[in-house]
Amino acid sequence: MSDALQNPIFRDYFVVLMGLLVVAGTLILVLRLLHKNVDHAWKAYRGWLFMIPPVFVALYFGRVTTIVFFTLLSLSAFFEFARATGLYRDWGMLSVVILGIISVGVVSAMDDPGTKVHGWYGMLMALPVYVVAAIMMIPIIRDRAKGQLQPIALSVVGFIYIGWMFGHLSYLTNAKNAYGYLLYLLFAVPLNDIAAFTFGRIFGNRKFRPNISPNKTWAGSIGALAVSMALPWLVRFSFPEFGTAELILTGIIVGIGGQLGDLTISVMKRDIGIKDMGAVIEGHGGILDRVDSLIYVAPLFFHMTRYFVGL
Amino acid sequence: MESWHYEPTPDFDKTPIERLRDFPRHPHFFVYWMRTFANLVVRAILRIGNRFEIAGRENLPSSGSFVMVANHASHLDAPSLLAALPLKQVHRAFPAAAADYFFTNLPVLAFSAIVMNAMPFDRRENPKQSIDACRQLLESEGHVLILFPEGTRTADGSIGPFKPGIGFLIAGSAIPVVPCHIRGAWKAWPKGNWIPRPRKLTLTIGKPLVFADKQRVKDDALAIAETLRSAVAALD
Repeated sequence: MSDALQNPIFRDYFVVLMGLLVVAGTLILVLRLLHKNVDHAWKAYRGWLFMIPPVFVALYFGRVTTIVFFTLLSLSAFFEFARATGLYRDWGMLSVVILGIISVGVVSAMDDPGTKVHGWYGMLMALPVYVVAAIMMIPIIRDRAKGQLQPIALSVVGFIYIGWMFGHLSYLTNAKNAYGYLLYLLFAVPLNDIAAFTFGRIFGNRKFRPNISPNKTWAGSIGALAVSMALPWLVRFSFPEFGTAELILTGIIVGIGGQLGDLTISVMKRDIGIKDMGAVIEGHGGILDRVDSLIYVAPLFFHMTRYFVGL
Repeated sequence: MESWHYEPTPDFDKTPIERLRDFPRHPHFFVYWMRTFANLVVRAILRIGNRFEIAGRENLPSSGSFVMVANHASHLDAPSLLAALPLKQVHRAFPAAAADYFFTNLPVLAFSAIVMNAMPFDRRENPKQSIDACRQLLESEGHVLILFPEGTRTADGSIGPFKPGIGFLIAGSAIPVVPCHIRGAWKAWPKGNWIPRPRKLTLTIGKPLVFADKQRVKDDALAIAETLRSAVAALD
Protein backbone atom coordinates (compact mmCIF):
# COMPACT_ATOMS: atom_id res chain seq x y z
CA MET A 1 0.00 0.00 0.00
CA SER A 2 1.53 3.29 -1.03
CA ASP A 3 0.24 6.67 -2.15
CA ALA A 4 -3.50 6.10 -2.02
CA LEU A 5 -4.36 9.03 -4.28
CA GLN A 6 -2.23 7.57 -7.11
CA ASN A 7 -4.20 4.33 -6.90
CA PRO A 8 -7.15 4.30 -9.34
CA ILE A 9 -9.10 1.74 -7.25
CA PHE A 10 -8.84 3.92 -4.11
CA ARG A 11 -9.94 6.97 -6.12
CA ASP A 12 -12.87 5.14 -7.73
CA TYR A 13 -14.16 3.82 -4.39
CA PHE A 14 -13.70 7.24 -2.80
CA VAL A 15 -15.82 8.85 -5.52
CA VAL A 16 -18.47 6.09 -5.45
CA LEU A 17 -18.87 6.02 -1.65
CA MET A 18 -18.75 9.77 -1.14
CA GLY A 19 -21.21 10.09 -4.02
CA LEU A 20 -23.54 7.59 -2.34
CA LEU A 21 -23.30 9.49 0.93
CA VAL A 22 -24.17 12.77 -0.80
CA VAL A 23 -27.07 11.20 -2.75
CA ALA A 24 -28.46 9.43 0.34
CA GLY A 25 -28.09 12.60 2.43
CA THR A 26 -29.89 14.68 -0.20
CA LEU A 27 -32.67 12.08 -0.44
CA ILE A 28 -33.21 12.11 3.34
CA LEU A 29 -33.21 15.91 3.31
CA VAL A 30 -35.80 16.02 0.49
CA LEU A 31 -38.03 13.49 2.28
CA ARG A 32 -37.73 15.54 5.45
CA LEU A 33 -38.78 18.68 3.61
CA LEU A 34 -41.80 16.72 2.36
CA HIS A 35 -42.64 16.06 6.05
CA LYS A 36 -41.94 12.32 5.84
CA ASN A 37 -40.72 10.47 8.91
CA VAL A 38 -37.02 9.89 8.24
CA ASP A 39 -35.80 9.42 11.84
CA HIS A 40 -34.74 5.80 11.34
CA ALA A 41 -33.02 6.49 8.02
CA TRP A 42 -31.30 9.59 9.47
CA LYS A 43 -29.92 7.60 12.42
CA ALA A 44 -28.56 4.92 10.08
CA TYR A 45 -27.16 7.58 7.73
CA ARG A 46 -25.45 9.44 10.57
CA GLY A 47 -23.84 6.15 11.60
CA TRP A 48 -22.41 5.73 8.10
CA LEU A 49 -21.13 9.32 8.22
CA PHE A 50 -19.12 8.33 11.30
CA MET A 51 -17.91 5.04 9.83
CA ILE A 52 -16.95 5.64 6.19
CA PRO A 53 -14.58 8.64 6.52
CA PRO A 54 -12.30 6.95 9.15
CA VAL A 55 -11.87 3.97 6.80
CA PHE A 56 -10.65 6.23 3.99
CA VAL A 57 -8.43 8.23 6.35
CA ALA A 58 -6.80 5.02 7.68
CA LEU A 59 -6.27 3.65 4.14
CA TYR A 60 -4.98 7.01 2.92
CA PHE A 61 -2.23 7.06 5.55
CA GLY A 62 -0.99 3.63 4.50
CA ARG A 63 -0.39 0.07 5.61
CA VAL A 64 0.58 0.51 9.25
CA THR A 65 -2.19 3.04 9.97
CA THR A 66 -4.73 0.67 8.42
CA ILE A 67 -3.43 -2.22 10.55
CA VAL A 68 -3.67 -0.03 13.68
CA PHE A 69 -7.23 0.92 12.65
CA PHE A 70 -8.32 -2.70 12.22
CA THR A 71 -6.60 -3.71 15.46
CA LEU A 72 -8.42 -0.97 17.41
CA LEU A 73 -11.68 -2.04 15.78
CA SER A 74 -10.99 -5.64 16.75
CA LEU A 75 -10.16 -4.67 20.34
CA SER A 76 -13.36 -2.59 20.60
CA ALA A 77 -15.43 -5.46 19.19
CA PHE A 78 -13.82 -7.91 21.63
CA PHE A 79 -14.54 -5.55 24.53
CA GLU A 80 -18.19 -5.43 23.57
CA PHE A 81 -18.23 -9.23 23.53
CA ALA A 82 -16.52 -9.32 26.95
CA ARG A 83 -18.95 -6.76 28.40
CA ALA A 84 -21.93 -8.69 27.03
CA THR A 85 -20.85 -12.13 28.23
CA GLY A 86 -19.44 -11.13 31.62
CA LEU A 87 -15.88 -12.08 30.59
CA TYR A 88 -14.88 -8.45 31.32
CA ARG A 89 -14.71 -9.36 35.02
CA ASP A 90 -11.78 -11.72 34.42
CA TRP A 91 -8.89 -9.32 33.85
CA GLY A 92 -6.35 -12.13 33.51
CA MET A 93 -8.15 -13.70 30.55
CA LEU A 94 -8.85 -10.23 29.16
CA SER A 95 -5.14 -9.35 29.24
CA VAL A 96 -4.16 -12.49 27.32
CA VAL A 97 -6.80 -11.95 24.61
CA ILE A 98 -5.86 -8.26 24.29
CA LEU A 99 -2.19 -9.21 23.87
CA GLY A 100 -3.25 -11.84 21.32
CA ILE A 101 -5.25 -9.31 19.29
CA ILE A 102 -2.36 -6.82 19.37
CA SER A 103 -0.06 -9.65 18.24
CA VAL A 104 -2.27 -10.23 15.18
CA GLY A 105 -1.67 -6.57 14.25
CA VAL A 106 2.07 -6.79 14.98
CA VAL A 107 2.70 -9.92 12.87
CA SER A 108 0.66 -8.35 10.05
CA ALA A 109 2.76 -5.18 10.21
CA MET A 110 6.21 -6.74 10.59
CA ASP A 111 8.34 -8.36 7.90
CA ASP A 112 8.65 -12.12 7.58
CA PRO A 113 12.05 -12.89 9.19
CA GLY A 114 12.80 -15.45 6.47
CA THR A 115 11.68 -13.81 3.23
CA LYS A 116 11.85 -10.14 4.39
CA VAL A 117 8.49 -9.35 2.74
CA HIS A 118 5.74 -7.43 4.58
CA GLY A 119 3.65 -9.63 6.93
CA TRP A 120 4.71 -12.74 8.88
CA TYR A 121 2.18 -15.22 7.50
CA GLY A 122 3.54 -18.28 9.33
CA MET A 123 3.21 -16.60 12.70
CA LEU A 124 -0.29 -15.32 11.88
CA MET A 125 -1.37 -18.92 11.27
CA ALA A 126 0.43 -20.17 14.41
CA LEU A 127 -0.89 -17.45 16.75
CA PRO A 128 -4.05 -19.35 17.83
CA VAL A 129 -1.81 -22.10 19.21
CA TYR A 130 0.14 -19.72 21.43
CA VAL A 131 -2.83 -17.63 22.54
CA VAL A 132 -5.03 -20.63 23.34
CA ALA A 133 -2.11 -22.19 25.24
CA ALA A 134 -1.70 -18.95 27.23
CA ILE A 135 -5.45 -18.84 28.00
CA MET A 136 -5.32 -22.44 29.26
CA MET A 137 -2.41 -21.57 31.55
CA ILE A 138 -4.32 -18.93 33.52
CA PRO A 139 -6.41 -21.28 35.72
CA ILE A 140 -3.27 -23.37 36.29
CA ILE A 141 -1.32 -20.31 37.44
CA ARG A 142 -4.23 -19.35 39.69
CA ASP A 143 -4.59 -22.93 40.93
CA ARG A 144 -8.36 -22.64 40.45
CA ALA A 145 -10.73 -25.04 38.71
CA LYS A 146 -14.27 -24.06 39.76
CA GLY A 147 -16.04 -21.98 37.12
CA GLN A 148 -12.98 -21.75 34.86
CA LEU A 149 -14.32 -23.51 31.76
CA GLN A 150 -16.71 -20.67 30.90
CA PRO A 151 -14.09 -17.87 30.87
CA ILE A 152 -11.66 -20.17 29.03
CA ALA A 153 -14.25 -20.93 26.34
CA LEU A 154 -15.34 -17.29 26.05
CA SER A 155 -11.72 -16.15 25.76
CA VAL A 156 -10.98 -18.71 23.05
CA VAL A 157 -14.07 -17.64 21.06
CA GLY A 158 -13.22 -13.99 21.70
CA PHE A 159 -9.69 -14.36 20.38
CA ILE A 160 -10.22 -16.82 17.51
CA TYR A 161 -13.47 -15.39 16.20
CA ILE A 162 -13.24 -11.67 16.92
CA GLY A 163 -9.49 -11.17 17.17
CA TRP A 164 -7.90 -13.60 14.75
CA MET A 165 -10.54 -14.20 12.06
CA PHE A 166 -11.34 -10.49 11.84
CA GLY A 167 -7.60 -9.76 12.06
CA HIS A 168 -7.11 -11.30 8.60
CA LEU A 169 -8.20 -7.88 7.30
CA SER A 170 -5.01 -6.43 8.82
CA TYR A 171 -2.90 -8.94 6.92
CA LEU A 172 -4.72 -8.13 3.66
CA THR A 173 -2.98 -4.72 3.77
CA ASN A 174 0.15 -6.61 2.64
CA ALA A 175 -1.50 -7.77 -0.60
CA LYS A 176 -0.33 -6.28 -3.91
CA ASN A 177 -3.94 -5.22 -4.54
CA ALA A 178 -4.69 -4.26 -0.93
CA TYR A 179 -6.90 -1.28 -1.82
CA GLY A 180 -9.02 -3.39 -4.14
CA TYR A 181 -9.56 -6.25 -1.68
CA LEU A 182 -10.12 -4.12 1.42
CA LEU A 183 -12.37 -1.53 -0.19
CA TYR A 184 -14.37 -4.25 -1.94
CA LEU A 185 -14.98 -6.11 1.33
CA LEU A 186 -15.78 -2.94 3.26
CA PHE A 187 -18.24 -1.96 0.52
CA ALA A 188 -19.75 -5.33 -0.45
CA VAL A 189 -20.34 -6.80 3.02
CA PRO A 190 -22.55 -3.95 4.34
CA LEU A 191 -24.30 -3.89 0.94
CA ASN A 192 -25.08 -7.60 1.41
CA ASP A 193 -26.67 -6.75 4.79
CA ILE A 194 -28.67 -3.89 3.27
CA ALA A 195 -29.82 -6.16 0.38
CA ALA A 196 -30.99 -8.83 2.84
CA PHE A 197 -32.94 -6.21 4.78
CA THR A 198 -34.48 -4.63 1.67
CA PHE A 199 -35.47 -7.89 -0.08
CA GLY A 200 -36.82 -9.20 3.21
CA ARG A 201 -38.99 -6.10 3.65
CA ILE A 202 -40.36 -6.20 0.12
CA PHE A 203 -40.79 -9.92 -0.60
CA GLY A 204 -40.27 -11.72 2.68
CA ASN A 205 -42.81 -13.67 4.62
CA ARG A 206 -41.13 -17.04 5.22
CA LYS A 207 -38.81 -16.79 8.21
CA PHE A 208 -35.25 -17.96 7.63
CA ARG A 209 -34.03 -18.79 11.15
CA PRO A 210 -36.85 -17.64 13.45
CA ASN A 211 -35.21 -18.83 16.68
CA ILE A 212 -32.04 -16.88 16.00
CA SER A 213 -33.07 -13.77 14.11
CA PRO A 214 -36.86 -13.41 13.70
CA ASN A 215 -36.61 -10.59 11.14
CA LYS A 216 -34.56 -12.54 8.61
CA THR A 217 -36.47 -14.15 5.72
CA TRP A 218 -35.68 -16.59 2.93
CA ALA A 219 -36.44 -13.86 0.37
CA GLY A 220 -33.98 -11.50 2.06
CA SER A 221 -31.33 -14.17 2.20
CA ILE A 222 -31.68 -15.20 -1.45
CA GLY A 223 -31.93 -11.57 -2.58
CA ALA A 224 -28.72 -10.72 -0.72
CA LEU A 225 -26.94 -13.69 -2.26
CA ALA A 226 -28.07 -12.60 -5.74
CA VAL A 227 -26.81 -9.04 -5.17
CA SER A 228 -23.51 -10.32 -3.77
CA MET A 229 -23.05 -12.69 -6.72
CA ALA A 230 -23.60 -9.84 -9.20
CA LEU A 231 -21.49 -7.26 -7.39
CA PRO A 232 -17.99 -8.62 -8.23
CA TRP A 233 -18.82 -8.17 -11.94
CA LEU A 234 -20.23 -4.68 -11.39
CA VAL A 235 -17.09 -3.50 -9.60
CA ARG A 236 -14.64 -5.71 -11.46
CA PHE A 237 -12.12 -2.87 -11.45
CA SER A 238 -11.49 -3.83 -7.80
CA PHE A 239 -9.63 -7.02 -8.73
CA PRO A 240 -8.34 -7.07 -12.31
CA GLU A 241 -6.32 -10.23 -11.53
CA PHE A 242 -9.48 -12.29 -10.78
CA GLY A 243 -10.89 -14.74 -13.33
CA THR A 244 -14.47 -16.06 -13.48
CA ALA A 245 -13.92 -18.70 -10.77
CA GLU A 246 -12.54 -16.15 -8.31
CA LEU A 247 -15.36 -13.73 -9.03
CA ILE A 248 -17.94 -16.45 -8.39
CA LEU A 249 -16.20 -17.52 -5.18
CA THR A 250 -16.02 -13.89 -4.02
CA GLY A 251 -19.76 -13.59 -4.56
CA ILE A 252 -20.47 -16.80 -2.63
CA ILE A 253 -18.13 -15.89 0.23
CA VAL A 254 -19.67 -12.45 0.71
CA GLY A 255 -23.25 -13.56 0.00
CA ILE A 256 -23.27 -16.60 2.28
CA GLY A 257 -20.43 -15.75 4.67
CA GLY A 258 -21.82 -12.31 5.38
CA GLN A 259 -25.17 -13.75 6.41
CA LEU A 260 -23.56 -16.49 8.50
CA GLY A 261 -21.49 -13.86 10.29
CA ASP A 262 -24.61 -11.86 11.03
CA LEU A 263 -26.42 -14.96 12.32
CA THR A 264 -23.44 -16.04 14.43
CA ILE A 265 -23.50 -12.81 16.42
CA SER A 266 -27.31 -13.15 16.62
CA VAL A 267 -26.87 -16.61 18.19
CA MET A 268 -24.64 -15.03 20.86
CA LYS A 269 -27.03 -12.13 21.47
CA ARG A 270 -30.07 -14.41 21.69
CA ASP A 271 -28.31 -16.74 24.10
CA ILE A 272 -27.22 -13.85 26.34
CA GLY A 273 -30.61 -12.14 26.00
CA ILE A 274 -29.56 -8.76 24.60
CA LYS A 275 -30.65 -6.81 21.53
CA ASP A 276 -27.37 -5.15 20.51
CA MET A 277 -23.75 -5.77 21.38
CA GLY A 278 -23.28 -2.16 22.49
CA ALA A 279 -24.40 1.40 21.93
CA VAL A 280 -21.37 3.05 20.34
CA ILE A 281 -22.96 3.98 17.02
CA GLU A 282 -26.48 5.38 17.39
CA GLY A 283 -28.85 3.55 15.04
CA HIS A 284 -26.29 0.77 14.43
CA GLY A 285 -25.80 -0.74 17.90
CA GLY A 286 -22.26 -1.68 18.77
CA ILE A 287 -19.13 -2.07 16.68
CA LEU A 288 -19.57 -5.84 16.77
CA ASP A 289 -23.06 -5.48 15.30
CA ARG A 290 -21.50 -3.58 12.41
CA VAL A 291 -18.52 -5.83 11.69
CA ASP A 292 -20.23 -9.17 12.43
CA SER A 293 -20.52 -10.14 8.73
CA LEU A 294 -16.93 -9.12 7.99
CA ILE A 295 -15.62 -11.52 10.64
CA TYR A 296 -16.83 -14.51 8.66
CA VAL A 297 -15.97 -13.08 5.26
CA ALA A 298 -12.44 -11.75 5.93
CA PRO A 299 -10.58 -15.06 6.46
CA LEU A 300 -12.54 -16.93 3.76
CA PHE A 301 -11.83 -14.25 1.17
CA PHE A 302 -8.21 -14.03 2.35
CA HIS A 303 -7.49 -17.72 1.89
CA MET A 304 -9.41 -17.97 -1.38
CA THR A 305 -7.37 -15.09 -2.81
CA ARG A 306 -4.08 -16.38 -1.42
CA TYR A 307 -4.73 -19.85 -2.86
CA PHE A 308 -5.87 -18.81 -6.34
CA VAL A 309 -3.97 -15.63 -7.21
CA GLY A 310 -1.51 -15.13 -4.32
CA LEU A 311 -1.34 -12.06 -2.13
CA MET B 1 -26.91 -29.84 30.77
CA GLU B 2 -27.16 -26.69 32.83
CA SER B 3 -27.06 -23.40 30.92
CA TRP B 4 -24.18 -21.02 31.38
CA HIS B 5 -24.91 -17.91 33.36
CA TYR B 6 -24.05 -14.72 31.52
CA GLU B 7 -23.70 -11.46 33.37
CA PRO B 8 -23.50 -8.46 31.04
CA THR B 9 -22.11 -5.35 32.68
CA PRO B 10 -24.94 -3.30 34.26
CA ASP B 11 -24.13 -0.25 32.07
CA PHE B 12 -24.15 -2.44 28.97
CA ASP B 13 -26.69 -0.54 26.87
CA LYS B 14 -25.25 2.90 27.57
CA THR B 15 -23.10 4.85 25.13
CA PRO B 16 -19.46 5.50 26.12
CA ILE B 17 -20.33 9.12 27.00
CA GLU B 18 -23.26 8.06 29.17
CA ARG B 19 -20.97 5.58 30.90
CA LEU B 20 -18.53 8.38 31.76
CA ARG B 21 -21.39 10.47 33.19
CA ASP B 22 -22.72 7.54 35.14
CA PHE B 23 -22.00 7.19 38.87
CA PRO B 24 -21.00 4.88 40.46
CA ARG B 25 -18.91 3.89 37.45
CA HIS B 26 -18.40 0.22 36.67
CA PRO B 27 -14.80 -0.96 36.52
CA HIS B 28 -13.32 -0.90 33.06
CA PHE B 29 -10.04 -2.52 32.08
CA PHE B 30 -8.81 0.27 29.78
CA VAL B 31 -10.01 3.07 32.06
CA TYR B 32 -8.17 1.45 34.97
CA TRP B 33 -4.84 1.43 33.12
CA MET B 34 -5.37 4.85 31.57
CA ARG B 35 -6.09 6.30 35.02
CA THR B 36 -3.04 4.60 36.51
CA PHE B 37 -0.80 5.92 33.75
CA ALA B 38 -2.34 9.42 33.77
CA ASN B 39 -1.93 9.70 37.54
CA LEU B 40 1.73 8.73 37.22
CA VAL B 41 2.18 11.50 34.65
CA VAL B 42 0.28 14.04 36.82
CA ARG B 43 2.47 13.13 39.82
CA ALA B 44 5.61 13.60 37.74
CA ILE B 45 4.38 16.98 36.45
CA LEU B 46 3.53 18.15 40.01
CA ARG B 47 6.89 16.96 41.31
CA ILE B 48 8.95 18.53 38.53
CA GLY B 49 6.83 21.55 37.59
CA ASN B 50 5.62 22.57 41.05
CA ARG B 51 8.29 21.02 43.30
CA PHE B 52 5.37 19.35 45.04
CA GLU B 53 5.90 18.20 48.62
CA ILE B 54 3.67 16.31 51.02
CA ALA B 55 3.88 16.55 54.82
CA GLY B 56 1.95 14.41 57.30
CA ARG B 57 1.24 11.47 55.01
CA GLU B 58 1.35 9.22 58.09
CA ASN B 59 -1.94 10.81 59.22
CA LEU B 60 -3.88 9.11 56.41
CA PRO B 61 -5.89 6.14 57.79
CA SER B 62 -4.38 2.88 56.57
CA SER B 63 -7.73 1.07 56.38
CA GLY B 64 -11.44 1.77 56.07
CA SER B 65 -13.16 4.62 54.27
CA PHE B 66 -12.35 8.22 55.04
CA VAL B 67 -12.94 11.78 53.82
CA MET B 68 -10.23 14.25 52.84
CA VAL B 69 -11.24 17.92 53.06
CA ALA B 70 -9.08 20.78 51.86
CA ASN B 71 -9.05 24.45 50.95
CA HIS B 72 -9.85 25.04 47.29
CA ALA B 73 -7.72 27.48 45.34
CA SER B 74 -7.14 25.88 41.93
CA HIS B 75 -7.58 22.91 39.60
CA LEU B 76 -4.32 21.55 41.03
CA ASP B 77 -5.99 20.76 44.37
CA ALA B 78 -7.70 17.46 43.52
CA PRO B 79 -4.62 16.06 41.69
CA SER B 80 -2.49 17.08 44.69
CA LEU B 81 -4.73 15.22 47.14
CA LEU B 82 -4.85 12.16 44.86
CA ALA B 83 -1.05 12.26 44.67
CA ALA B 84 -0.90 11.76 48.44
CA LEU B 85 -2.61 8.36 48.10
CA PRO B 86 -0.96 5.12 46.98
CA LEU B 87 -1.39 4.75 43.20
CA LYS B 88 -3.61 1.68 43.61
CA GLN B 89 -6.00 3.66 45.82
CA VAL B 90 -6.81 6.33 43.18
CA HIS B 91 -9.37 3.93 41.69
CA ARG B 92 -11.22 3.99 45.01
CA ALA B 93 -10.78 7.72 45.64
CA PHE B 94 -13.46 10.10 44.40
CA PRO B 95 -13.00 13.87 44.29
CA ALA B 96 -16.49 15.41 44.41
CA ALA B 97 -16.62 17.74 41.40
CA ALA B 98 -19.27 20.27 40.37
CA ALA B 99 -21.59 18.49 37.93
CA ASP B 100 -22.36 21.79 36.18
CA TYR B 101 -18.67 22.41 35.43
CA PHE B 102 -16.88 19.06 35.14
CA PHE B 103 -19.58 16.87 33.62
CA THR B 104 -20.79 18.94 30.67
CA ASN B 105 -18.46 19.12 27.66
CA LEU B 106 -16.76 15.94 26.44
CA PRO B 107 -13.00 16.66 26.93
CA VAL B 108 -13.51 17.91 30.51
CA LEU B 109 -15.93 15.06 31.23
CA ALA B 110 -13.43 12.48 29.93
CA PHE B 111 -10.63 13.99 32.04
CA SER B 112 -12.83 14.17 35.15
CA ALA B 113 -14.14 10.62 34.86
CA ILE B 114 -11.10 8.78 33.50
CA VAL B 115 -8.14 10.57 35.07
CA MET B 116 -9.60 12.06 38.26
CA ASN B 117 -12.29 9.43 38.91
CA ALA B 118 -14.46 12.39 39.90
CA MET B 119 -17.89 12.03 41.42
CA PRO B 120 -20.51 14.40 39.98
CA PHE B 121 -21.78 16.70 42.74
CA ASP B 122 -24.93 18.65 41.99
CA ARG B 123 -24.28 21.81 43.99
CA ARG B 124 -27.14 23.79 42.46
CA GLU B 125 -30.28 21.70 41.87
CA ASN B 126 -30.00 18.86 44.33
CA PRO B 127 -27.12 19.07 46.84
CA LYS B 128 -28.96 16.86 49.37
CA GLN B 129 -29.15 14.00 46.88
CA SER B 130 -25.43 14.40 46.18
CA ILE B 131 -24.66 14.26 49.91
CA ASP B 132 -26.68 11.03 50.11
CA ALA B 133 -24.60 9.64 47.25
CA CYS B 134 -21.43 10.60 49.16
CA ARG B 135 -22.77 8.80 52.24
CA GLN B 136 -23.46 5.65 50.21
CA LEU B 137 -19.97 5.81 48.79
CA LEU B 138 -18.43 5.91 52.25
CA GLU B 139 -20.46 2.89 53.35
CA SER B 140 -18.29 0.70 51.10
CA GLU B 141 -15.01 -0.40 52.61
CA GLY B 142 -11.83 1.38 51.49
CA HIS B 143 -13.34 4.37 49.68
CA VAL B 144 -11.82 7.85 49.89
CA LEU B 145 -14.02 10.86 49.32
CA ILE B 146 -12.25 14.12 48.48
CA LEU B 147 -14.25 17.23 49.27
CA PHE B 148 -13.69 20.97 48.98
CA PRO B 149 -16.31 22.31 51.40
CA GLU B 150 -15.90 25.91 50.23
CA GLY B 151 -17.89 24.79 47.18
CA THR B 152 -15.80 26.77 44.70
CA ARG B 153 -12.26 28.00 44.12
CA THR B 154 -11.16 31.02 46.12
CA ALA B 155 -10.98 34.30 44.23
CA ASP B 156 -8.29 35.93 46.39
CA GLY B 157 -6.28 33.07 47.90
CA SER B 158 -8.00 33.17 51.32
CA ILE B 159 -9.97 30.24 52.75
CA GLY B 160 -13.70 30.93 52.49
CA PRO B 161 -16.39 29.59 54.86
CA PHE B 162 -17.07 25.84 54.70
CA LYS B 163 -20.61 24.92 53.66
CA PRO B 164 -22.58 22.85 56.18
CA GLY B 165 -23.05 19.93 53.73
CA ILE B 166 -19.87 18.31 55.03
CA GLY B 167 -21.38 18.48 58.54
CA PHE B 168 -24.61 16.80 57.46
CA LEU B 169 -22.55 14.12 55.72
CA ILE B 170 -20.39 13.03 58.63
CA ALA B 171 -22.35 13.99 61.76
CA GLY B 172 -23.00 10.88 63.86
CA SER B 173 -20.67 8.77 61.73
CA ALA B 174 -17.45 7.01 62.70
CA ILE B 175 -15.88 7.87 59.34
CA PRO B 176 -12.69 9.88 59.94
CA VAL B 177 -12.26 13.25 58.22
CA VAL B 178 -8.71 14.22 57.34
CA PRO B 179 -8.10 17.98 57.14
CA CYS B 180 -5.59 18.94 54.45
CA HIS B 181 -4.06 22.25 53.50
CA ILE B 182 -2.70 23.05 50.06
CA ARG B 183 -0.26 25.91 49.93
CA GLY B 184 0.82 27.66 46.74
CA ALA B 185 -2.02 26.44 44.53
CA TRP B 186 -3.60 29.88 44.19
CA LYS B 187 -0.32 31.37 42.95
CA ALA B 188 0.29 28.38 40.68
CA TRP B 189 -3.10 28.38 38.98
CA PRO B 190 -5.53 31.13 40.06
CA LYS B 191 -9.14 31.15 38.90
CA GLY B 192 -9.40 32.63 35.41
CA ASN B 193 -5.96 31.50 34.19
CA TRP B 194 -5.85 28.98 31.35
CA ILE B 195 -2.64 27.17 32.26
CA PRO B 196 -0.78 26.55 35.54
CA ARG B 197 2.46 28.30 36.47
CA PRO B 198 5.49 26.46 37.89
CA ARG B 199 5.11 27.67 41.49
CA LYS B 200 5.91 25.62 44.59
CA LEU B 201 3.07 23.51 45.96
CA THR B 202 2.91 21.97 49.43
CA LEU B 203 0.26 19.66 50.83
CA THR B 204 0.02 19.30 54.60
CA ILE B 205 -2.13 16.47 55.96
CA GLY B 206 -3.52 16.87 59.48
CA LYS B 207 -4.70 14.32 62.04
CA PRO B 208 -8.09 12.71 61.32
CA LEU B 209 -11.17 14.00 63.17
CA VAL B 210 -14.31 12.03 64.01
CA PHE B 211 -17.74 13.56 64.67
CA ALA B 212 -19.63 10.49 65.92
CA ASP B 213 -21.12 12.45 68.85
CA LYS B 214 -22.77 15.07 66.62
CA GLN B 215 -26.37 15.05 65.35
CA ARG B 216 -27.49 15.50 61.77
CA VAL B 217 -29.00 18.93 62.53
CA LYS B 218 -28.18 22.38 61.22
CA ASP B 219 -26.36 23.71 64.32
CA ASP B 220 -24.09 20.68 64.57
CA ALA B 221 -23.48 20.71 60.80
CA LEU B 222 -22.40 24.36 60.97
CA ALA B 223 -20.18 23.61 63.97
CA ILE B 224 -18.51 20.68 62.14
CA ALA B 225 -17.94 22.86 59.08
CA GLU B 226 -16.33 25.57 61.23
CA THR B 227 -14.19 23.03 63.15
CA LEU B 228 -12.92 21.59 59.89
CA ARG B 229 -12.22 25.02 58.43
CA SER B 230 -10.18 25.93 61.52
CA ALA B 231 -8.33 22.58 61.33
CA VAL B 232 -7.46 23.19 57.67
CA ALA B 233 -6.40 26.80 58.30
CA ALA B 234 -4.25 25.73 61.27
CA LEU B 235 -2.16 23.55 58.95
CA ASP B 236 -0.95 26.64 57.03
